[in-house]
Amino acid sequence: MISIKNISKWYGSFQVLTDCSTEVKKGEVVVVCGPSGSGKSTIIKCVNALEPFQKGEINVDGISVGDPKTDLPKLRSRIGMVFQNFELFPHLSVTENLTLAQIKVLGRTPDAARDKGLKLLDRVGLMAHKDKFPGQLSGGQQQRVAIARALSMDPIAMLFDEPTSALDPEMINEVLDVMVQLAQEGMTMMVVTHEMGFAKRVAHRVIFMDAGKIIEDCTKDDFFGAPRSERAQLFLSKILHH
Amino acid sequence: MFAGYDFDVIQRSWVYLFRDGMTFTLTLTALAMVGGIFFGTLLAMMRLSRFSILSYAAGGYVNLMRSLPLVLVIFWFFFLVPYIGAWLIGAKDPVKVGSFMSCLITFTMFEAAYYCEIMRAGIQSVARGQVWAGYALGLNYWLTMGKIVLPQAFRNMLPVLLTQTVILFQDTSLVYVISATDFLGAAAKVANRDYRLVEMYTFVAAVYFIISFSLSLLVKQLQSRIAIIR
Repeated sequence: MISIKNISKWYGSFQVLTDCSTEVKKGEVVVVCGPSGSGKSTIIKCVNALEPFQKGEINVDGISVGDPKTDLPKLRSRIGMVFQNFELFPHLSVTENLTLAQIKVLGRTPDAARDKGLKLLDRVGLMAHKDKFPGQLSGGQQQRVAIARALSMDPIAMLFDEPTSALDPEMINEVLDVMVQLAQEGMTMMVVTHEMGFAKRVAHRVIFMDAGKIIEDCTKDDFFGAPRSERAQLFLSKILHH
Repeated sequence: MFAGYDFDVIQRSWVYLFRDGMTFTLTLTALAMVGGIFFGTLLAMMRLSRFSILSYAAGGYVNLMRSLPLVLVIFWFFFLVPYIGAWLIGAKDPVKVGSFMSCLITFTMFEAAYYCEIMRAGIQSVARGQVWAGYALGLNYWLTMGKIVLPQAFRNMLPVLLTQTVILFQDTSLVYVISATDFLGAAAKVANRDYRLVEMYTFVAAVYFIISFSLSLLVKQLQSRIAIIR
């Protein structure tokens, strides 16, 4: 579904990604972890071309992301993305947030878009808040709306960029619950996160990154059981001991 | 103290002042504001464009306009616009452009430079992630701008845009250099005819003050009402 081949990226002369390759198959849940500044958010933004890359190739559902001829808006509309800071549109109501792209990009009628949006809102348990503005919701609620907004486009895969990092601890689980449910339904997911509990529960594979390189790319059991690299062992020992 | 003055001249002339003069001033202000914000927003989008030719062109235009005195630009356009018009439509003789049209074009183009800088700050005040979210949903550049970035930029900048409009309202009085009959121009005509300069100019000052000051108060009120809930 998503194939990343030998990606390298520079900010000016500073190299943020070095020769990264991996693959996410249909229905697979891949967790990307690593210390901050390791390039994990950057690589996930490269997948839907929010960040350009200078070398290598990324294909999503057989379509090359780096190809200048690719219809990027169309490609992006098929990949859902959830951001660390939610990025709901603060000047639009929850319902408008859910319907805007459905109407403008997919050409759905306002009624159809509303039906779809509200169904998903109900699914994340926020039907009562449909007419509120994002600023009136808690962080966890906003992130659930953001997930519903991404799902309203019927994506073939979902990207999560540290979806719980900006949340208060008591709100993390309500968001993770939605994500776990999604994973169990067979959604293809690439998730940048520090939530190792989530990884243990639903991930098929874990990718560990450090300093712009993919250090480990293995099954969940291998990663938590016996990470091969010293760097990953150190990382795990640090975050699992709390 | 006011023994030597004749304030009756105001009573005799105020209908003319407002009907002819103030209408000109307000129409010019309103249309130049709308046009200025429209072109200013386009210029701001060009300045922030990743295509360097667009950003240099817009930057050059804005810097040029902001480096010239407004009076000079009014003069210059008044004499130049007929020739530019003739060149545009390929006519032999200069096109006849009324003083109002000439003023409108001048003020729109001049104010666009100032509105551009305001809108640029407004666009930059919208978090980068908002643009990402728009793109990630499949919206293209124009939809992302039109539906997500610009509505927020306008709301953030509305007080500053209106403050600039109050300045524009005062600046329109400079059209006296081409003898257009705006509010000040109309008053000047009456003042010179009846030789009542102090009376008329005092009255004009009072009217400008009342309108400008009320607008500033309105801006302050608006400021607290339109803030986006965050």
